[in-house]
Amino acid sequence: MTDLLEGEIGIATESDLVVARKAVRGAADSLGFSVTDVTRIVTAASELTRNIFRYAGTGVMRWHRLERGGSLGLELTFADDGPGIGDIEQAMQAGFSSSGGLGLGLPGAKRLMDEMEIASEVGKGTTVTVRKWRRKA
Amino acid sequence: MTGSISVIRVGDLLLVTVPPDPDDPTVGELQEGVLRAMEQYDAKGLVLDISTVETLDSFFARTIAETAQMVGLMGGRTVIAGMRASVAITATQLGLTLGGSLTALDVDRALRLLGRGAQGGAR
Repeated sequence: MTDLLEGEIGIATESDLVVARKAVRGAADSLGFSVTDVTRIVTAASELTRNIFRYAGTGVMRWHRLERGGSLGLELTFADDGPGIGDIEQAMQAGFSSSGGLGLGLPGAKRLMDEMEIASEVGKGTTVTVRKWRRKA
Repeated sequence: MTGSISVIRVGDLLLVTVPPDPDDPTVGELQEGVLRAMEQYDAKGLVLDISTVETLDSFFARTIAETAQMVGLMGGRTVIAGMRASVAITATQLGLTLGGSLTALDVDRALRLLGRGAQGGAR
């Protein structure tokens, strides 16, 4: 049985984007996020999954439920062994893209989520971690 | 999901209902299908119904904006209809724009905007 609140999906093809979005939607829905927050989280996941596909070719998305001081949240991690990001500051600027994209992926995902961390080493790979906390009702 | 895009003719307009969570090839297919139909039916405009779309990411938005631009080059006008509130909020935060595309709350209003619909004419 697959746990909605925790899991891992390999990213290798375009259709994995759809699978990843579905998994994240399932997790965010079952954690009780609002419709708008679910949309924000799924959209951020779509951008970050596409980054793996576009820059590294393959990678993995992991997700799990968070609990901190009585608040619930969702953490998503996107990891690849791709070319890495040479200049993270530059990559975080809206409109910068090394792939001919819109350059909205990383800065956009950061705005949609509450927290974001990027660890990257050129030639080794990139790991992006994002978190969203559920607002108390 | 492939093959799930159908282009419907409404008079001299085209109506396309976008599926809720299309994969990238389906989004690409949408663009090609629309442009082929524009040519084939000598259409004057396009209504893209995105009312069931729950996730509009940058790739999807770019394809929509490009399609609208291409339809414009072919002499047609595009109206993007039915964007959900949650999608509008997310798209704005993400920094997406849909180029100069016209938008409408629903398909009925979109058709009226293009001069066709129940009231039979533009406002």
